[in-house]
Amino acid sequence: MSASSTEIRFAREVYSGEAVDEAVKTFANFASFELTEDEAAWIVRVTPNSPDVARRLIGEFGNYALGLTIQRGGTTTV
Amino acid sequence: MSDTTPESTELPAELVAVDTNAATVTLAVDATIYPLQALYGASYIFIDRCFVFIDRPEEGRFRVVLSPKDAKPEPEALRALVGEFANELLSCAWRHQITQDNRVAIETVTMQAIAGAMGEPSLDDLAAFDFSDEAFDDPLGIAQSWEEKHGKKTPSEPPPADAGDEPRAAAEQPAAEQPAAVSDGAGAAQ
Repeated sequence: MSASSTEIRFAREVYSGEAVDEAVKTFANFASFELTEDEAAWIVRVTPNSPDVARRLIGEFGNYALGLTIQRGGTTTV
Repeated sequence: MSDTTPESTELPAELVAVDTNAATVTLAVDATIYPLQALYGASYIFIDRCFVFIDRPEEGRFRVVLSPKDAKPEPEALRALVGEFANELLSCAWRHQITQDNRVAIETVTMQAIAGAMGEPSLDDLAAFDFSDEAFDDPLGIAQSWEEKHGKKTPSEPPPADAGDEPRAAAEQPAAEQPAAVSDGAGAAQ
């Protein structure tokens, strides 16, 4: 059974695009991802493979993207 | 519908909102007081304890959503979490300000340390040094010698005529008279 999808908007001024891409690649085995973008944010629609771990998966995914952004020195837009 | 109870925290209600059903706490951060680097620092400390999400809802303002990794945290735990995060955010902002204030000193010391680690220049380096490159400006002439600045007097140049004639004459007068007195004495003895 597949869990419902959740849309996460990563603000461009806060999150690095490369960090979000790398986070998607890292978590690709645990969920399916759809990536889009607009002027203000990187938009990721996450559909976990298992609904039981949806909250933890989305949270860890966000933490991973944030951690990579910080380790890369932040974004270049601010 | 989630149950948002901002009055359950001691922080200002317009800045903090606690959602007990979703087990999240939302903190509004003024970007003019807390720079993004400070927000990064505080968030990085908390990502092992809770899920951290940062949003930029409008210009000059961040929104931080904290969610403990425990599925059902107590409301007191949420309140403590946002309080600790706010303290850490303030600490990171202050350290960021100190770093900005001391940036020039830090860079200067670092450059001197690197230059010192490179060792003394060799004779070949000194021979190849381009002295034509002006190292610094000297508008006040501090690096000039006294002769370059005021002009060196040549030894053959006669002294000025009106410079100290009377004292020199007064000093030479007894010396000129003394041999005569000696000669007079010698003559008298003879």
